[in-house]
Amino acid sequence: MVDFGIPIGAGIAFGLGALGTGIAQSKIGAAGAGTIAERPETFGLMIILVAIPETLVILGFVVSTMIMIMLV
Amino acid sequence: MLQKMKKIQVMGPKNDLQSVVDVLYHTGTVQLEDVSKTILPGDTILRKMDFTKAGDLTTILLKLGGIFLSLPKVPDDLLKQAHITEDLQKKSQGEIIARANEVVAVLESTTKDLAERKSNLEFTLNALDRYEKIIKKIQPLESQLPVLKGFEITVVLIQREFREVLELVRNALIDITRNQFELLSADMDEATIATVIIFNKKYSEQVHSFIFSQNVNEIRMPQEYLGKPFIEILQMITEKKEKTIDEKTAIDHKLTELSAEWYQELAVLKKVLEDRNEEAGVFNKFGQTEYTFLIEGWIPKKYLDRTKEALSNTFGKRVIVLDLKVSPEKMDDAPTFYDNPDIVKPFEFLMQLISPAKYREVDPSPILALFFPIFFGLMVGDIAYGAIILVFALIMKKKFKTEIWLQHLMNILVISSIPAIFFGFLFGEFFGNLGEMMGWIHPMTFLGVTWNRAEAIIPMLILAIAIGVFHVFLGLSIGIINAHTRKSTKHMIEKAGMIIVITGLLLVIGASAKMVPEILLLPGVVMVVIALPMIIYGGGFFGAFEIISTMGNILSYARLMAIGMASVVLALVANKLGGMMEVAIVGFLIAAMLHILNIALAMFSPFLHSLRLHLVEFNSKFYEGGGKMYQPFRRDNEGDKSMK
Repeated sequence: MVDFGIPIGAGIAFGLGALGTGIAQSKIGAAGAGTIAERPETFGLMIILVAIPETLVILGFVVSTMIMIMLV
Repeated sequence: MLQKMKKIQVMGPKNDLQSVVDVLYHTGTVQLEDVSKTILPGDTILRKMDFTKAGDLTTILLKLGGIFLSLPKVPDDLLKQAHITEDLQKKSQGEIIARANEVVAVLESTTKDLAERKSNLEFTLNALDRYEKIIKKIQPLESQLPVLKGFEITVVLIQREFREVLELVRNALIDITRNQFELLSADMDEATIATVIIFNKKYSEQVHSFIFSQNVNEIRMPQEYLGKPFIEILQMITEKKEKTIDEKTAIDHKLTELSAEWYQELAVLKKVLEDRNEEAGVFNKFGQTEYTFLIEGWIPKKYLDRTKEALSNTFGKRVIVLDLKVSPEKMDDAPTFYDNPDIVKPFEFLMQLISPAKYREVDPSPILALFFPIFFGLMVGDIAYGAIILVFALIMKKKFKTEIWLQHLMNILVISSIPAIFFGFLFGEFFGNLGEMMGWIHPMTFLGVTWNRAEAIIPMLILAIAIGVFHVFLGLSIGIINAHTRKSTKHMIEKAGMIIVITGLLLVIGASAKMVPEILLLPGVVMVVIALPMIIYGGGFFGAFEIISTMGNILSYARLMAIGMASVVLALVANKLGGMMEVAIVGFLIAAMLHILNIALAMFSPFLHSLRLHLVEFNSKFYEGGGKMYQPFRRDNEGDKSMK
């Protein structure tokens, strides 16, 4: 019988990471857009700030890859 | 590297102050500081210099600017200008102003008068052109106009989109003139309709006031054209135009003559007085005694001799430069002057995203210049992508030579594309697996691993984490150096403790996962136990939480593998999808489009993440920031020239 638990677990690990990143980036992005409107010179800094939560999805991706590779 | 700075004091007799400031301004190496900060309270000998900008300097500059604008531009005769400048520099401020006043007295009224007459003539020419255009357009209607005495003709211009106004005007004219009018229209151009209205003179006032109230553009012809046939008016306009053009040419000729005679001196006078005006703005920063002045400032060590030489060449021993001894703590006030080799310079641009390093901190830009391209290359890791990025960056550099920021960015891409090509060879990637499919290239085997990114996921992950450990440890080590510079023992112990704890934790994790010999488990635990108190001593109880965040930082380097893998997978999809198409050209186009998308992403995403790894994960281990950039006292646009 096919074990669905592993791919589902990997999917949850990746999906929740992506969701977390999305929620965080939406808030930082909105605030950042406001900041850039007031002070355009902060554009570079805002791009970095928006990229910060991407750690979550990357760690999610790593965990899901490890689940897939190590447990299969 | 941050350039070594020196604090200096310049002293001399008050009579030379203006000239000393002028020499410093043209040498462009000293960042002036406010002397009043160093004057002790109650000091009766040394006091702040009170200086208000001379109003006559601003006034004369305005007058010179006005004359300069009225005269036609003549190419700068640099030799002649240098000669005039040399003569002027020998004169005192009063003599220069007197000379400027003489020039203004000769030129001001003449040029003003000529410029005014020229502007009037240009206005007349424009009006004549307009009348001519309108009359030519309505000329065909002439035969329809009733020849009646006591009637007046006026022309209104109406935008085509508001043509319904015509109906409104017609209805109103019926009421005003009791139907004693004629209204004829002709197309003026694509957007405008010219309408001729003929009405009884006795209603003149009401008609004009109505047209005015409707905000319609009414063209009132000069009195001399009224009541004449159009052909005659056209002839009169042509004659007047010729006369006006002749007059304008004569004025231009006079202005050119004046320009040929005065332009070079005017240009020099304007520049010298602008400099003097700019210089006058900093006098409030200086100190003075009865007979001497005192200037204080920061100067990069490498420019010190040159500046001393410039001052002694002009003033001999009258003006002296003191090289002050500053305590290490006070050196924190020194301005930050990034001065790296050319290959690091573009990365200084990225450092502008955060506040400048303090003077006594280690400059992270050389480390950024070393690791940024490696991280970028690891993530892109494709020969073809690297080569395309290189060509793209070179083209952009050539095309936008004046955009400084773009030049910096493209230089970074040029440097970073080299490791991308190198790692492309290691991973055996040429447009993803296309090179391998065609048998051109294969992933290399190194350290017992075949570095095929699509398959060697775990080795890539371990490599990324290992790089993370090295990079974070490097950051912590620089943190120890920075703490040592400011003699902060607590911080040194905290950073050292962090390195030991993280090493211990890695040993424990490695031994548990059987990646390192199990015998290392105990030393790992011992290291954590010993170093934890060091962290708590250095950073307080909450310093211990930093361990978790540092581990998070190290894991964050997994993006080196993750982003690279996403790029590989997209390239594989492009090749696979392209290969599945039955028509070769369609397959080629699909693959090409996906690869182009992937290259665009490859330029943006690895760039951003490589930068982020430095600014967030790496810099947070040592970087404090909050320094002030070095801003020497000099003419803005001559900055780079004078620094070389």
